[in-house]
Amino acid sequence: MVGLFVRLKLRLIAGSLKGTSQQRFGFVFSLIAGLVVAIAGFYLMSGLRALDPTLAADVGVVFFFAILIMWIVGPLLMFGLDDTLDPARLALFPLTTAQLTRGLLASSAVGIWPVASLFAMTGVIFGLSRSVTGALIGIVAVPVAFACCLVVSRLVTTALSGALRTRRGRDLMAVGVILLVVGSQLPGMLLNQGLGNGLEIITQTAGVLRWSPTGLAAHAIADGGLVGVAEVVAVALFTAVCAWLWIVALKAALTRADSSSQGGGSVRRSRFGGLLPEGVLGAVVAKELKYARRDPRGRVTWVSALAVIIIMIFSTRNNTGGEPIVWMGVFPVWLGGLVVSLQATNSFGIDGRALWINAVVYAKPEALRADLAGRHVAIALLGAPLICLAAVVTGLLTKPVWIVPAALTGVGVMGLVFAVGSFTSVYIAYTQPERINAFTGAAPGQGGQAFLSSIGSLVGGAVLSLPVLIPVMAGHLWVSVFMPVLGFGLAWLARAKASVIGLRRMPELMADVSRPT
Amino acid sequence: MTEAVRTRGLVKAFGQQVAVAGVDLVVPAGSFAGLVGPNGAGKTTTLSMITGLLRPDGGLVEIHGADAWAEPVKVKSSIGVLPEGLRLFERLSGRELLLYNAELRGIPREEGAKRAAELLKVMDLVESQDKLVVDYSTGMRKKIGLAAALLHNPAVLFLDEPFEGVDPVSANTLTEVLRRYTASGSTVIFSSHVMDLVERLCDWVSVMSRGQIVAQGPTDEVRRGRSLNEAFLDLVGAGGSGEEGLTWLGSSSG
Repeated sequence: MVGLFVRLKLRLIAGSLKGTSQQRFGFVFSLIAGLVVAIAGFYLMSGLRALDPTLAADVGVVFFFAILIMWIVGPLLMFGLDDTLDPARLALFPLTTAQLTRGLLASSAVGIWPVASLFAMTGVIFGLSRSVTGALIGIVAVPVAFACCLVVSRLVTTALSGALRTRRGRDLMAVGVILLVVGSQLPGMLLNQGLGNGLEIITQTAGVLRWSPTGLAAHAIADGGLVGVAEVVAVALFTAVCAWLWIVALKAALTRADSSSQGGGSVRRSRFGGLLPEGVLGAVVAKELKYARRDPRGRVTWVSALAVIIIMIFSTRNNTGGEPIVWMGVFPVWLGGLVVSLQATNSFGIDGRALWINAVVYAKPEALRADLAGRHVAIALLGAPLICLAAVVTGLLTKPVWIVPAALTGVGVMGLVFAVGSFTSVYIAYTQPERINAFTGAAPGQGGQAFLSSIGSLVGGAVLSLPVLIPVMAGHLWVSVFMPVLGFGLAWLARAKASVIGLRRMPELMADVSRPT
Repeated sequence: MTEAVRTRGLVKAFGQQVAVAGVDLVVPAGSFAGLVGPNGAGKTTTLSMITGLLRPDGGLVEIHGADAWAEPVKVKSSIGVLPEGLRLFERLSGRELLLYNAELRGIPREEGAKRAAELLKVMDLVESQDKLVVDYSTGMRKKIGLAAALLHNPAVLFLDEPFEGVDPVSANTLTEVLRRYTASGSTVIFSSHVMDLVERLCDWVSVMSRGQIVAQGPTDEVRRGRSLNEAFLDLVGAGGSGEEGLTWLGSSSG
């Protein structure tokens, strides 16, 4: 049975190679990214050997804890890193829970990212162990820690999968995920409190994290004695308990009645809809604004964009006590602009299977152009005030003169992402699952496309903004006036071109955004 | 006889599998036409290609004489579509969905609101007009989908399995609306595999099997004195009652 599940997972991975050329490209991209992570992780961790043993142990502990957190948060986040099987899909097969448990566990260990993280983790054996016994403990501790990651990740996703079936549960989940993300940023923010005592912070953090399950494993390798053995046993016990809890959760998830069809109440009619212009543009703006607040995907996007902005503001805040530099005032707002507009990189994804409603109407590129513009306007209507607010807060924390240049830069860069996003939206569109199912952020096999589309637009927008950003950073603040001109000018041109392409590719586009999830 | 819809040699293959192998569909204007065929005959694929949702590998689609793929400007404003699978904007209320459609179609706001209100009333959706589509039942979704397809008063209406999973009361509402609509000279083409329904409603029928049209014409001509169901089974060659094999089935011994 284990072999069957592993083959199934391999089939799913191989399936993405059989797909369209974009899918193959996306897969190769994920493969390269996974390889880089694996090799860089292994190299850095084994390189800890050169450090003082105590410090090396501390870094190892933090690294192992980070891996665990990534295993928990990763599947809950974007990018569809792991197209693992949803247990609910297997509910009707005559499998015992034991078979299902073993099979799912084995299949979650298969894939680019699991292998990459296991490889990076093995680096710690070389980096941390300072004795033969330490290395021997490491050979046991790393697989145990890896198993711990698998089981805890499975436990969290399975336990939440029931909640994800109800609409209210999904809404709560959306908040939960973001809290986790913000939580994971806390160490970085603490580190940034002052670079001078960074080492001290690592030591302090490691002092706490050493008691986390995977932290214990890392510490055991460094210890190399009886304490280490005891720690590995403790991790193994913890993993066993989690596995038991997971089995309980799995049983519950497979047998609990589906409550997803419970109806909801009425929605309030729009009070400001009349202010929007008549026609495609106004209709799309109104629809997008409704989706931003009613669709869990919309809420997640906006709340996480807000979280990123807040984190950026406080992590680039001037803590050194010296004279603040322009970078501190402009950079967080610029990055905020990039992040907020990132949802324009897959504009049609949120429509999904309903995109045909637009497609049967649009006969000319102008209509699709107005549609794209409507989506951009909706993002700008919500995003621009947010960016301006971010500029004000950043300016007050640094130098108030930077408020206006920062706001211009942040709002302008949104236009640049819109420009790049117009093309990614029509060329590498992907399906955003309607049920945020904690297992993936894109339809099976499209994770690579999602990754490519977001990273491509992020980098594209960033690079396009350099001609303005560099002079601003160099102190020529007035140049920031050109950012909105550049951004929205390019977006205007990009929409004109992309709408022609998009209309021609409409049937393919519809297929891309409405794949089964 | 003017033709509302005509396709010539329409072909579509998904990889190795040929879904539609040269379909020559003809539907006269003003008819209430049924497109029938067993599962997998290519009905949905054919309708998707006619309505511009799926790109054909080959062949021609004409709607009132205009090439659907070459002259979308003429065609798209004159057709209404209800595709398979109830794919709608889930996070709009029923009323908002209709108003959204009206705006996309360029219907003035006031006129759109008036039409939406009337359609909601006829479809018996007034009470749930402010509920999100995601909370609608199958019958309600089909009705709101049909309302959206009718809103711009198209000349030809394409419906893919409009009665599948719909309760008798909603089905009755749907047929009443469609009858009124065709009585005025507009054309309805719907796919179904419920033969009684097609026999009762349709004055024109096209029978599909294995990706091709095997018979089409006025319902009475296709039937030739038999029930449509019998004629259909003959046409698609569903011979044999399946008595060979399956000897293990039915005795419940293990």
